[in-house]
Amino acid sequence: MNRGPRRAPSAQERSARQSPGDNLRPQAVRLAPLPGILGRLNGPQTMGRGRAFWSGFALLLALAIVYPLFVDGWTVGNTAYFFTWTFMAMGLCLIWGYGGALSFGQTAFFGLSGYSYGVLAINLGSAYGLTFAALAIAVLASLLLAAVLGYFLFYGRISGVFLGIVTLSVTLVFETFMAQTAGPEWAIGAARLNGFNGMTGMPPLTLPWPGGDLALFPGIPLYYLLLATMVLCYLALRVLVNSRFGNVLVAIRENPQRAEMLGYDVRRYQLGTFVIGSGLAGLSGVFYTAWGQYITPSSMGLTAAALPIVWVAVGGRRDLTATLLGTLIVLSAFQSLTVYGSQYALVVMGLLLLFTVLLAPEGFIPAVVRAVTRLPWIDRAQSSRSQAERERRP
Amino acid sequence: MSILETIELQKNFGGVQVARDLSFEMERGEVHCLIGPNGAGKSTFFRLVLGEHQPTAGRIFFDGEDITELASFARIRKGISVKFQVPGIFKDLSVWQNLEIALQHHLEGQGLTAEIARVLEFVDLNAAAGELAGNLSHGQQQWLEIGMAVSVKPRLLLLDEPTAGMSPDETRKTGEMVKTLNAEGVSVLAVEHDMEFVRQIADRVTVLHMGQLFAQGSIAEIEADERVAEIYLGKPDDA
Amino acid sequence: MLQEIFAFLYQFGDAFAFLVLSAAGLAIIFGMMGIINLAHGEFIMCGAYVTVTTARLGLPLPLAILCGALAAGLAGILVERLIIHRLYHRPLDSIVATWGISLIVTQTVLILLGSTMPGIGTPLGSFSIGAFSYSEYRLVLMAVAVLLLIALYLLFNTTRFGLLSRATIQKPQMAQALGVKTSRVYSLTFGLGAALAGLAGGLYAPTMTLVPTMGVTFIVESFVTVVVGGADVFLGTAPAAAVLALIKAVMTGWQGQLFGQIGLLVTVIVVIRILPRGISGWFLKERT
Repeated sequence: MNRGPRRAPSAQERSARQSPGDNLRPQAVRLAPLPGILGRLNGPQTMGRGRAFWSGFALLLALAIVYPLFVDGWTVGNTAYFFTWTFMAMGLCLIWGYGGALSFGQTAFFGLSGYSYGVLAINLGSAYGLTFAALAIAVLASLLLAAVLGYFLFYGRISGVFLGIVTLSVTLVFETFMAQTAGPEWAIGAARLNGFNGMTGMPPLTLPWPGGDLALFPGIPLYYLLLATMVLCYLALRVLVNSRFGNVLVAIRENPQRAEMLGYDVRRYQLGTFVIGSGLAGLSGVFYTAWGQYITPSSMGLTAAALPIVWVAVGGRRDLTATLLGTLIVLSAFQSLTVYGSQYALVVMGLLLLFTVLLAPEGFIPAVVRAVTRLPWIDRAQSSRSQAERERRP
Repeated sequence: MSILETIELQKNFGGVQVARDLSFEMERGEVHCLIGPNGAGKSTFFRLVLGEHQPTAGRIFFDGEDITELASFARIRKGISVKFQVPGIFKDLSVWQNLEIALQHHLEGQGLTAEIARVLEFVDLNAAAGELAGNLSHGQQQWLEIGMAVSVKPRLLLLDEPTAGMSPDETRKTGEMVKTLNAEGVSVLAVEHDMEFVRQIADRVTVLHMGQLFAQGSIAEIEADERVAEIYLGKPDDA
Repeated sequence: MLQEIFAFLYQFGDAFAFLVLSAAGLAIIFGMMGIINLAHGEFIMCGAYVTVTTARLGLPLPLAILCGALAAGLAGILVERLIIHRLYHRPLDSIVATWGISLIVTQTVLILLGSTMPGIGTPLGSFSIGAFSYSEYRLVLMAVAVLLLIALYLLFNTTRFGLLSRATIQKPQMAQALGVKTSRVYSLTFGLGAALAGLAGGLYAPTMTLVPTMGVTFIVESFVTVVVGGADVFLGTAPAAAVLALIKAVMTGWQGQLFGQIGLLVTVIVVIRILPRGISGWFLKERT
């Protein structure tokens, strides 16, 4: 991986080696190996660019594609389960890591969309691809809630701390609300909300397919659908954070007053980010519900709300790649620990969060990357490669 | 025609009046310095003009247009820009990116690159384009912020103690920058303690005292004014 | 008619006491240190568990409650010394860290003490006016809430600790230059906040089921009170608790407990839009 512009020592070393002319186009400048919008895949806001990174990416993606051929069905379904959570993590990374606004209640959107999907899918049925309509409407519900809530929060110009506790309160109240819907009067159409025990029986995502609809139970087709959506979201977010929008976003994180005094309507950018990130949390909620055909109020509880914070913080909140990899690693670690009981796994998660904050505030993946790129032999290889890249440019 | 005009501006914090009946006017194209002892209301005046505070009473006109109700960012888009006292830069981003963010409003692609290079040249930060802004020297951070403030193509530039913490050499260089900008048509309003610097740049000087406009005139007139000397210049060293 | 009025006042007083008691600790830590302590609920749980344990060992309830508060306070000082004091220059991170603590504590208690703990019944009796019957203990809680506000006012305005802590909060460097051990003030303030949480836990322990996650019961109400109140305990928390208690009493009377909570949440979201710095910010209007 190449070094981002954030790391001071390497930037200094570089400028010492470069001629003054090179400095005019420092590494912060896009290398633009691809034309137009795809050029934004690389940029100052994301770690990793150049041939080495994208070769690694392609290799990893190829491995992920052939993975189901080599493992049993349960593992495939389980890996798909990990994928369902990554959207919420990437959304939080955008809101918190890039935008600097700490939302503690992304699970509110997760739950809202999850339940919406359940209600819609039960009532609409799974024919004609209607489950995908349910998916779209469920995510839309989260976007709307985020827009309304975000309007009050950001246009009230409240500080980061308050944003955190208001969003957390929202998710906790949602949990309380759903937990008391046990009675038969709590039904929407054919869908019983079922209180604390949660809602079940919604159809999985179902693709209209020649020769019979294809119901995506946890298995190979669902795995591929989730993998493709995840990769697409990851790439789209990379483009977003390296675009003008992303520039303004990190500017607001660094110094909101200065950003405003450059003519940017800070509130609008924050609201936009919050809505996008919350929509992704909603997408996670839908996929989760469709995956297990099941959702409970505790998915919006205090513990559930803490977990996305753990994934994003531990991986590295200021970088999408670090967040994505970190989330998958922490999720699988969490699951292996659950063998000993989920309470033990949660203690470990708490400790992990504490140690991250104390020892590696930017997350463990950036810390590891930094340590590796500081090694002398790596540094030389990197700089000769970027030298070659510079020469290739017009 | 005045570039900035305030009419009986008033601002209360709790029970305290920090600005009262501030009627101020500055001409298009001039370099105007705002001086006064600490607590005279200079920073409050800036915040009012920038929209960070809402006045309790009074109006603010920019280039003939009433901007009293506008949000800060909208005032910037009208053509006001500011350099804060404590450098307001994006410390974790590179110098280049700082300028890119300032310039991407109205430029992209080749034009953006060329303009970043031009601004870097202007604030003498060519050699540091790849550095993190937070690693620059204090003087360089001040210049970077001037560069960013200029990038939004202001017609009126507010400078809050632009030379604070600078060496005499850097101060002189900053003065040159201000004069160059002014020659390009930017009106400048600066809060400044360093009278040497004020002499170097100012066409006119306004003295604020106790939240009120106290005296106004050329630097020579102000320095000759005994009342001003009493409240401000006479003190050993307020800077 | 009089009966209904009393019933409403009782509802209001009950809600007010709950909001004041559960928010006081959170508000002091937030007002003084700018930190939202997400382990607030766990300090409450700590106070409740210690209170019940010591009461079962035979200690009179008031003393047991004090033990609970003390235990939570000591735990608070420990947490501050070990973790929070490393994070003062990173307020958002300190909040995240307290969440880590919350997770660890809840789950550890679950592992060590199991999913519930036998409680002690509500002390004192009940009385009835008209068709309604009321708990006397709840009246005691109302009185304690008012006394607590008075005690805190005296603490911060008449004692040396109060003076030093306010000086430290307003001008840390200056206080340090004058010889105040600011780090000790921070420790004690955090400890005080935790002790108040423990007190709330102890006071409500007899009225509820003891489970490791019981802190959640308090946390929404205390968050909401602090957000609406802003940074000042007296100009913020107390009036916010009064306003919110009114809303909660009305909503609860109309639609039940849950709608009381929803009413609070909607209020807070609307209030934030109008008064970004809470009620105390409005009282101290723009005195920055």
